[in-house]
Amino acid sequence: MRVIVIEDDTDAAAFVKRVLNEAGHAVDICGDGESGLNQARSGEYDALVVDRMLPGMDGLKLLKSYRDGGGRAPALFLSALGEVDHRVEGLQAGGDDYLVKPYAPSELVARVEALGRRATGDIPTTKLAVGGLEMDLLARTVTRDGRKIDLQPREFRLLEFLMRHAGQVVTRTMLLEKVWDYHFDPQTNVIDVHVSRLRGKIDKDFERPLLHTVRGAGYRLEA
Amino acid sequence: MKIGRLPALVRTTTFRLALLHASIFILFSASLLAYLYYETAGHLGRQADSELTAEFRQLSEAYRLGGLDRLNQSVGERAGRGGKFFYLLLDPDGHKIAGDFDVLPAVAPPMGQVVDVPFAYDAPNILEGQPSRRSAAGRISRLSDCVLMVAYDRGVLGEMNQRITDVVWRSAAVGFVLSLIGGVVISRSAAQRAEQLAKTTEDVMGGDLSRRAPVFGSGDEFDRLSEQLNAMLAKLERLVMSSRSAGDSIAHDLRSPLTRLRNRLEAGLRDTNSDGPRTALARSIDDVDGVLDTFNAILRLSRVQAGASGSFRRTNVAGITDELAELYQPVCEEKGLAFQYSHEADLFVLADKDLIAQAMANLVDNAVKYTPQGGEIRLKANRGLNGDIELSVTDSGPGIPAADRERAIERFVRLEQSRSEPGSGLGLSLAAAVAEAHAGRLVLTDGGGPPGKPGLSAMLALPAA
Repeated sequence: MRVIVIEDDTDAAAFVKRVLNEAGHAVDICGDGESGLNQARSGEYDALVVDRMLPGMDGLKLLKSYRDGGGRAPALFLSALGEVDHRVEGLQAGGDDYLVKPYAPSELVARVEALGRRATGDIPTTKLAVGGLEMDLLARTVTRDGRKIDLQPREFRLLEFLMRHAGQVVTRTMLLEKVWDYHFDPQTNVIDVHVSRLRGKIDKDFERPLLHTVRGAGYRLEA
Repeated sequence: MKIGRLPALVRTTTFRLALLHASIFILFSASLLAYLYYETAGHLGRQADSELTAEFRQLSEAYRLGGLDRLNQSVGERAGRGGKFFYLLLDPDGHKIAGDFDVLPAVAPPMGQVVDVPFAYDAPNILEGQPSRRSAAGRISRLSDCVLMVAYDRGVLGEMNQRITDVVWRSAAVGFVLSLIGGVVISRSAAQRAEQLAKTTEDVMGGDLSRRAPVFGSGDEFDRLSEQLNAMLAKLERLVMSSRSAGDSIAHDLRSPLTRLRNRLEAGLRDTNSDGPRTALARSIDDVDGVLDTFNAILRLSRVQAGASGSFRRTNVAGITDELAELYQPVCEEKGLAFQYSHEADLFVLADKDLIAQAMANLVDNAVKYTPQGGEIRLKANRGLNGDIELSVTDSGPGIPAADRERAIERFVRLEQSRSEPGSGLGLSLAAAVAEAHAGRLVLTDGGGPPGKPGLSAMLALPAA
């Protein structure tokens, strides 16, 4: 992916650049709002990473202008402001995701990669498939190699999220936010337990596991 | 009182209140005295006037019936009687016919008209032999063949009048002074209370947070103000103390992981094994994550305590506990804990859903953390006896001794037995802060278990909406 990072703090920007470079993405850095907007409009980017507080033009305004000008690349806000209201502001300004500082590098990579996938999958889908695992979003059914798998509603949503981001690392925080809509991290390993239950349903009785644990980062569903 | 201080004096509330008090008093007493005057001196004057009119009418009647002779006779009789009136009857040329005086004190009016004239005359003083000058009021009328004057002595009346007027003015002056003094006394006591409050706040600003405003138990506005101020100061003091001790606790809590981190990095640097440094780095990241978690928890707690910026909406909190039950039940089962969830319908609270969820998640986290295998956790949402909405988590763990419960809610306090467990020590504080932000409270009670492991019941009591 080709990513533009609009962030005035040079250390923070360099950190984002290195983390994303290591994950195999090309990164350009821009230090202020105005020129960041112009550069983003050049249209060469797959994703925007925008700091909320920027000199010249703040991140919210920048993204609004970008969207008003027809810019369609998905955007991730980085901010120290992490209350629900702040997130809502970010999403209303046209952001696709919102990551609160401080964050773990693996979290940043996972979020940015999740953005890239979303951008290419614009057409509404009714069926998802990973390996022999198939999900019918209309009939709300899941099968693996033709065998029906019964899931609770929440397990269904969890699996849907994993399948939509198949091949990518998905963090526990992402799951809490996107599947449970919680914006805090419980002290206990609640997510791990739910994921392992899901794993019990989709991987048990099959030779090849699909749902993998990525140490220190999260999970990945992969054929 | 020095003149130089006058402007400052004028500025004081005391002075202004006293002045206002005096002005109102003056207004009232002026009306009162005016009424008094009207009813006494004024009344006497009017009475004398009407008597004079009656006397005049009787004489006119006598003249109408019997002409000058009859009038002359009447005047003679009346003058001889020695009443309060004096008479003088003159011929048209001004020569005296009969009466008490020799000449008219004023020019007689034209025919058919009547004039009132005040005048002075010398009355013979029987006791001292010296005549004294007295004032009188007379009424003069010119008839066809004579001029008649009837007068009365105003000496007595005038004295009375004068005395009443004097009394009125003197009492007005005394009243003004008295009311000024009264105003000063009354407003001084108010000003003194205000001054005490000002002094208290001054001392507090000077750094003495333990200072409190005096409360006299009278229950008046100043007592209420003092109580409010004291409550505010108590809260302020608690916050300052807790942030002071929080500073210590942060330092304390972060020193061990940071020291561990440093040692690990150093060991990794010296490790000659090919995998050694990698492992050290990976574990260092875990340590740093723990530190970051603590920081995030501190930030979040501060935001909630500073007044939640979240959005409050009328929310059925049973929906929140439903989701939490679903989230935590598998964890409990995994840990060998029996999980029970019960709730009533329609538990509406003006709430920030995310905050309530987090507070409750913290309580359930704690319960899961401290309840040993084979134990039980009960999550409950119901309407309390006093109408509050109660969200409670009850476990069968070791519980918290009653004496420690209040302290357990304070920031960073981790009771001795829990020091070994991971966690920021902010879970209960956050739950308490969230409860407070919703005008509710966090209540810790005995879990109702057997002695030895009584368990803990943590309950958010929130006002129903």
